[in-house]
Amino acid sequence: MAKLLRLNMADRTASLQDLPEAYKLLGGRGLSSTIVYDEVDPQCHPLGPNNKLVFAPGIVSGTAAPTSSRLSVGAKSPLTGGIKEANVGSAFSPAQAAMGIKAIVVEGQPAEKGKWWLAYVTWGWSEGQPVVEFLPADEYAGRDLYEVFPELFKRFGKVSIAGIGTAGEYLYSNSGVVFEDMEGRPARYAGRGGLGAVMGSKGLKFIVLDRKGAPGVGLANKEVFEQGRRKLTDALMTHAITKPKGALNSYGTAVLINILNEAGGLPTRNFSSGRFEGAAKIAGEAVFEGNKERLGKELYNHACSPGCIIRCSNTWHRPDGTEHVSCQEYESIWSLGANCGIDSLDVTGELIKLCNAYGVDTIEMGTTLGVAMEGGLLAFGDGQRAIELMHEVGKGTPTGRILGSGTATAARLLGVTRVPVVKGQSMPAYEPRAVKGIGITYATSTMGADHTSGYTIAPEILGVSGKVDQFDRDKATLARNFLEATAYIDSTGHCLFIAFAILDIASGFEGSVEECNGVLGTSWTMDDVGRIGKEILAREVAFNRAAGISKQYDRMPEFMRLEKLPPHNVTWDVPDSTLDAVFP
Amino acid sequence: MDMDTIHVELWLYGPLARYAGEQSQGSYAQLHLDLPAGSTMQDLLDRLGLPAEEKGITFVNGSLAALPGLDSDRAVVLHDGDRVGISHNNSMWPFQYRFGVSLTPEIETTFRERTDRGIHHAYTEPSE
Repeated sequence: MAKLLRLNMADRTASLQDLPEAYKLLGGRGLSSTIVYDEVDPQCHPLGPNNKLVFAPGIVSGTAAPTSSRLSVGAKSPLTGGIKEANVGSAFSPAQAAMGIKAIVVEGQPAEKGKWWLAYVTWGWSEGQPVVEFLPADEYAGRDLYEVFPELFKRFGKVSIAGIGTAGEYLYSNSGVVFEDMEGRPARYAGRGGLGAVMGSKGLKFIVLDRKGAPGVGLANKEVFEQGRRKLTDALMTHAITKPKGALNSYGTAVLINILNEAGGLPTRNFSSGRFEGAAKIAGEAVFEGNKERLGKELYNHACSPGCIIRCSNTWHRPDGTEHVSCQEYESIWSLGANCGIDSLDVTGELIKLCNAYGVDTIEMGTTLGVAMEGGLLAFGDGQRAIELMHEVGKGTPTGRILGSGTATAARLLGVTRVPVVKGQSMPAYEPRAVKGIGITYATSTMGADHTSGYTIAPEILGVSGKVDQFDRDKATLARNFLEATAYIDSTGHCLFIAFAILDIASGFEGSVEECNGVLGTSWTMDDVGRIGKEILAREVAFNRAAGISKQYDRMPEFMRLEKLPPHNVTWDVPDSTLDAVFP
Repeated sequence: MDMDTIHVELWLYGPLARYAGEQSQGSYAQLHLDLPAGSTMQDLLDRLGLPAEEKGITFVNGSLAALPGLDSDRAVVLHDGDRVGISHNNSMWPFQYRFGVSLTPEIETTFRERTDRGIHHAYTEPSE
């Protein structure tokens, strides 16, 4: 029997509740957003006692479905003031699913400040259900996560961890929730939107899951599941982007650096240009060649989480061949590299490592350093000073606290007016003046500026709600379709990157729907995808509106209308009426 | 400068850098080439000895000119001062990250003529 596990941090009690009927067909983002919508007062302070932090594995997480170890973490965001789900790949997701916990809901707040707790969740053999113990965690506070994670694994054995670094302890709006990767590194983040601070506000330092003895995820229809799993696996194994030694497995997501740079869409030096002269030195191809030179052999990428066959996560090595950091992915290299005028992978590698060590989102951190550079706190390109400032962030100095508060806050304090944010969350690595379509997604996403909100989905699916034509004037319908399809994929537990393959190989898409039917006992067809996505978005939009985030927040920052972006010398010229038509 | 010669700035990415010979930086190459006026993209590839099947996503002056499997750029005539960027065929650019970018007239025509209107992530055949 599937359960909700509530951790009440006011009195450190745990309770298991049978899964409400209305939640039976939900998972991942669909479930985390619905619980936040149902239970969190939209007007509450994100760091007060009335916010809740939800952990929800996807519908097929914990099964043999390929690339499905994603977890949705949801709450009201301290960064945007709206609803937030941050998504992460980690063994935590299948472990939670195997224990029959559809969602962990962390609620309440301890009266006593400055004490830290760890929730240790094991499988109770005699009880036949999860058992929770709250343990003091003060010994782990104020420390580098690269020191702490090995201690946790030594103490608890083979477990999965969700937690916060010092950034979450300091309640930074830019703090993420950290999870272990396949090697036990504190390197996988539900990074965006400051959810680490929500966890920190509840005095919760770690959740440790030990799935030993847990029953695993049951299948309602094994035959249908297997059929779907095979179709999706075939699609992922043959598509140019997702196959072994394909684009992602060879060069990682950073294969996009040279592409966006050529297109004039790589935001450079705090969004003042779309092209960076040092881009080729920090691209995925440079990671591949750099590792080859330093290791004396080719190194292909690895899985971030169990069961992934795309395997896009890389490891960067020092000149002497020792490991430096995992992972140098596109958004992180861009934000801490090109956006800061830094053209060294050794510097971006160190900055990424420090983000992981202290517990901040790499995108928001890089864009914050970008505005700090523009505000004169340090010079563009000064990697050494950026590294020093990262330590200040981790140690909570006054300057560090400003930088941990996110791009918009740092810009306000430093008198910077070129502020690349929507709804308080900074933009990722695609310049909306040069890539107009992603700009519509940034503006209208319920999450603030987010590059993972609007993935293109199979024309065969979209055909249901209208044709898919990039030249059609009705960009709003297209954008809405993408937002809905993405909300669906985020609910399945699959990594969004399956979208690359299933857009082009329709049988793969069918397979992903059949997998859900196999787990849930439903008979969804491809037509249900849009409906499910629409329902999720309706709740998220309703939460935001009730929180005071009106349509007028679905906008690009003014400077993008005023300043021409080189090299194409273009401004943001998509009319507001188009943005308003996405969620009318 | 000779009126019959044009100057082109060429960037080659990933494994294609080897076609720059000694000027390869390993993971990329930047070349400054003089070509006869009227040269096409195909002439440029011939000059480098770069086989068409190795060429992937291609740009002319920041406009998308070709995708792997959709090389609409072979007959494009190059002009003095052009910047050409050629990526390898193991590169990618998913549609949502190129929706609304600058296109060459030739690839825009190619997209418009297709029933899928050019929104697929890959145009090469799935491999075994």
